[in-house]
Amino acid sequence: MVQSAVDGDAAAWKALVEGMSPLVWSVVRAHRLSDADGHEVFQTTWFRFAQHLGRIREPDKAGAWLASTARHECLKVLKGLARLTLTDDPRVLDRASEDRTPEESLIDSEEAADRAERVRRLWQELDGLGERCRQLLRVLMASPPPSYGEISAALGIAVGSIGPLRQRCLRRLRARMNARGAV
Amino acid sequence: MSGDDGMPREDGPDDGGFADALLEEELRQAAAVLDPVPAELLQAALDAFALHDLDARLAELTFDSLVDALPVRGVTDAPRMLTFRAGEVSVDVEVTEEGLIGQVLPPQSARIEVLGGPQTTRPLTADTLGRFTSDTPPTGPFALRLRTGGEVIVTEWLRA
Repeated sequence: MVQSAVDGDAAAWKALVEGMSPLVWSVVRAHRLSDADGHEVFQTTWFRFAQHLGRIREPDKAGAWLASTARHECLKVLKGLARLTLTDDPRVLDRASEDRTPEESLIDSEEAADRAERVRRLWQELDGLGERCRQLLRVLMASPPPSYGEISAALGIAVGSIGPLRQRCLRRLRARMNARGAV
Repeated sequence: MSGDDGMPREDGPDDGGFADALLEEELRQAAAVLDPVPAELLQAALDAFALHDLDARLAELTFDSLVDALPVRGVTDAPRMLTFRAGEVSVDVEVTEEGLIGQVLPPQSARIEVLGGPQTTRPLTADTLGRFTSDTPPTGPFALRLRTGGEVIVTEWLRA
């Protein structure tokens, strides 16, 4: 796919963008950037990827390349913020976007109300899991499911620690859901 | 999730594994519904294909004061200093609230444009020593395109 895009195949580029954008977005969201900063990091990541096309040595690792680039840009944003504003915290809490997607409208229909409620609770509980778990799960839930190599690049954690951490975080989340009586 | 009390346990890998996979999938659906990639960003990424340019030489970022410089006590608005390098040519750039100042090294005349995206370019004037200024600070992602000595060099995209 990467090679086809290098050769000028716009359809291959489109497939790459559609397949990898959720991963890049998940990295941005995992780092809790403001919307404006997050959008710029997302764009910078893709602009740079377009620029590096054809120079990427291992095309099958394009996802890890994108995830790693997005992570480094996120860290730069956070570093810049820490330097500029020492007192107030300009980061916003992670939240769902305001716009209602067609899927969301669908899920709001009455027969799906219970499921929608569970989805919302699941989302709320993520914030209570602690930073490491929240970050891991946000990247883990990108679609299609990212590889451990991609998750490692996205968060700067060792591949070998992802499995155990994933298990612990998912179980912690389930315990919180059960404690709130949401089954 | 029937039969799962949710308490931390020393499960075998295939005991809670199925429930974990289910929960992960549920989260994936939640993300797709509650926090999808914004449509305008998807479009921006699609449009970025136009930035794919095999003829230009890529000047890689080799110094970024945000990462590589030690913070100076009491100085919170220090300008961002950047150095890009493509072989023997390097470009020093200083980004301030007033705009851009920079120089191509070794000194040489160059035609320079500031790129702000696939469709946005703004020409800059550079003197015979390769020094250039812009009184418009870049907002968001930017790159510089230099034409010098018969070749085209583009700096790595960066967020200002």
